[in-house]
Amino acid sequence: MIEYKGVYTTYDNKFEAINGIDLHIKYGEFVSLIGPNGAGKSTLLRLLTKEITPNKGEVVVDGISIAEIPDKDLPVLRRKVGTIFQDFKLLTNKTAFENVAFALEVCGASEQEISDDVPKVLHIVGLSDKADNFPNQLSGGERQRVAIARALIHRPTILLADEPTGNLDLLNSYDVVKLLLKINELGTTVILATHNREVVNSIGRRVVSMENGKIVRDQIEAGKYII
Amino acid sequence: MKESLQRIWWAGWKNFKRNSYLSLGTTAIMVLVLVLFSALMGLNFLSVKVVSSLNEKVDVTVYFRSDAGEEEIIKVKDELQDRGDIRSVEYISREKALEDFKANHAGDVLIQDSLAELDSNPLQASLNVEASDPSQYATIVTYLEANQFRSLIDKINFYENEQVIGRVQKISGAIQNWGFTLTMALALIAVLITFNTIRLTIYNQKQEIEIMRLVGGSNWHIKAPYLVEGGLYGVFAALVTLLLFYPLVYLASPKIELLMPHASLMGYFISNGLQYVFLVLSAGILLGVVSSLFAIRRFLKV
Repeated sequence: MIEYKGVYTTYDNKFEAINGIDLHIKYGEFVSLIGPNGAGKSTLLRLLTKEITPNKGEVVVDGISIAEIPDKDLPVLRRKVGTIFQDFKLLTNKTAFENVAFALEVCGASEQEISDDVPKVLHIVGLSDKADNFPNQLSGGERQRVAIARALIHRPTILLADEPTGNLDLLNSYDVVKLLLKINELGTTVILATHNREVVNSIGRRVVSMENGKIVRDQIEAGKYII
Repeated sequence: MKESLQRIWWAGWKNFKRNSYLSLGTTAIMVLVLVLFSALMGLNFLSVKVVSSLNEKVDVTVYFRSDAGEEEIIKVKDELQDRGDIRSVEYISREKALEDFKANHAGDVLIQDSLAELDSNPLQASLNVEASDPSQYATIVTYLEANQFRSLIDKINFYENEQVIGRVQKISGAIQNWGFTLTMALALIAVLITFNTIRLTIYNQKQEIEIMRLVGGSNWHIKAPYLVEGGLYGVFAALVTLLLFYPLVYLASPKIELLMPHASLMGYFISNGLQYVFLVLSAGILLGVVSSLFAIRRFLKV
């Protein structure tokens, strides 16, 4: 379903972020990408939304090469591939409800769709009672759950989580991971980039270890945080 | 679709309102361009009026030598009348010319005495030619110059009028060219300033844009509010221009009419009001939208 075929990516023609990666991720998998800072985890995720393009090789999603997707169709790809980040990327002047609704508004959804779908997705992430709270009235874990709700609103088939627990304490981190596992059980492929050892060890799924832009280990089942 | 358009409209309006000081500056420079553009329209109307009123006053008088016979002059008159571009040809004989001259100077004793002293009639017979279209005078004069009776013609007075008309046209042309150049230069400055304002809006909304891209916001939804913002600068500039320009024309019009009695500037801008409002609005919106397009192309990567 997701294939990286001999991918090389260089920043500014100098720094080699990805250095010849071949990786195959099946539909419905939960994959943890681990490795130290600068290992190439985030770059690997950004290739999937065509924020960057590989210098060499090919990235294929659902049989379609990302490079062949014209710029005008990128929004469609980005609705299929939801993304969450360490810094949440929420709009501080909007409530939890409005932050999630914003994702629908900019795609041209009707008010009816918004009032139907947003409460449902806020319910999934357990924030029904905080819908009217602004980000600064929410804890870190809750903010990340708003970001997850926003990523889920388009019912993506793939969810990319780039260090989602980086700004959270252990308890909140486990909450977010539990939520990601729940989303995965509902059929969404989840790729989690992290260097949180406890989190990875608690998941017990596939773990891909990266170093210097290369995959150094791929534990298909019950993987542990090993670099 | 309707909801989408409403959201885009509100987003553009919010951008416009949020940068109030910048919006004011941008709108002001656009107003300057549009006022100049309007002044140029008024100037064009006035110069057309001046030239056409001069043209109406122009006629060609052909003066014949004293030895030219009446029969020959009548032949020339007939030939001229046969041309399609002549409205009227009036023959004034030497005697008639003298009679008219005397009548015109009936109160002037010196002139009357001088005429009495002369043995013969000093005035020349003439043909007064009026063309149906003023632009045809040059052709008519050329025709007369090449006529078989050219030797009978003493002088044709068209050239003096032609020089006056030429001068007026030249002055008005120069004013219009400079006005156009100035308008274009100011329009360019307005585009640059609007471009910069939109650039700042885009910069201030970096996070919002990033999120829109992230959640798969359509290109149209991301870009269109900035086009609306640019268009709004144009609309407001056009409205301010109209509010300024009409009172100015109202005040200036009577003064201009003292110099040019048939040129009512206010009348012109009232009778062409709809077209003028449409033109100013279109020019304003075009300036704003084009500037936005440049800024979006340069700074908004979707």
